[in-house]
Amino acid sequence: MTQRYFEDVNVDDEVDPVEKMPTADLAIDFFGRNNPMNPAFADAEHGKRLGVGGVLVPGMLKIAWMVQYVNDWAGPESQLGSIRVAYRRPDVADRPLVLSGRVVDKRDEEGKKLVELEVVTLAEGEPSVRGNVQVELPSRS
Amino acid sequence: MAEEEQSLITDEHRALIGQKTDPVQVTITEEHATRMRDVLEDSDPRWADGTGVAAPYAIASFGGRPSRNMPFILPNGLLTQQEWRFTRPFRIGEELTAVSSVVDIRERLGGRYGHSVLVTSSVDYYDADGKHVAAALSTLTQFDPKRATKEGGQ
Repeated sequence: MTQRYFEDVNVDDEVDPVEKMPTADLAIDFFGRNNPMNPAFADAEHGKRLGVGGVLVPGMLKIAWMVQYVNDWAGPESQLGSIRVAYRRPDVADRPLVLSGRVVDKRDEEGKKLVELEVVTLAEGEPSVRGNVQVELPSRS
Repeated sequence: MAEEEQSLITDEHRALIGQKTDPVQVTITEEHATRMRDVLEDSDPRWADGTGVAAPYAIASFGGRPSRNMPFILPNGLLTQQEWRFTRPFRIGEELTAVSSVVDIRERLGGRYGHSVLVTSSVDYYDADGKHVAAALSTLTQFDPKRATKEGGQ
């Protein structure tokens, strides 16, 4: 994991895509096997009743992946400020998701070196979640 | 001749907007923090074993869910928008005070879910000194799957 510095980042920089495979087991383990959760995260029939077409991938698993994706890019001295996402369409388990990101803004706000990224999850090439993430990066100076 | 759609949102629902719930104590346990981190295969040194810090997404262990006073107007719901904000990192085992409220209730005609109701709620987390630690905002789109199908939803 390498550190990224504010001065080295430019608007339109792209983040290398990462592929994730959301499985029902992974979702269940993320929330904890003994913890309550939406049955559609484990049961295809429940998912179908929601109109999803199979086991539903939890939104919170996808947002967690997006957080991890940006943290990995930003490095251990960064500070995540916020993430805001729109779940545009449901994802079905066992279909790969590709995370992709791009820097859309960088600014100095009262000494804080802030960078904003647009991050999406792509399912079969189509965006299923769109998000904006704000992260504070260290400065070289 | 199409029937005129009646609003599903009552004055009772509207009265919930802005009302804060009683504070609730929540804690990110080591078990939750470690499990989530390991499931994601997250090797970030900031929340490695022994640091006492939880990854930001550990908020999902208590924080992404809708407000406790959220009205359920239609039988099914899907999370359609979500926001997490962090003022500082989470400490494992630290007791936080959660205060939630309904931020907005609105409805939508047509689209994938037919006549749906969108309820936005927030939860703010404070430490023992009353300082803000994090916040979660979520919008749940509530719908009736029968109507969604009948009205041409996907």
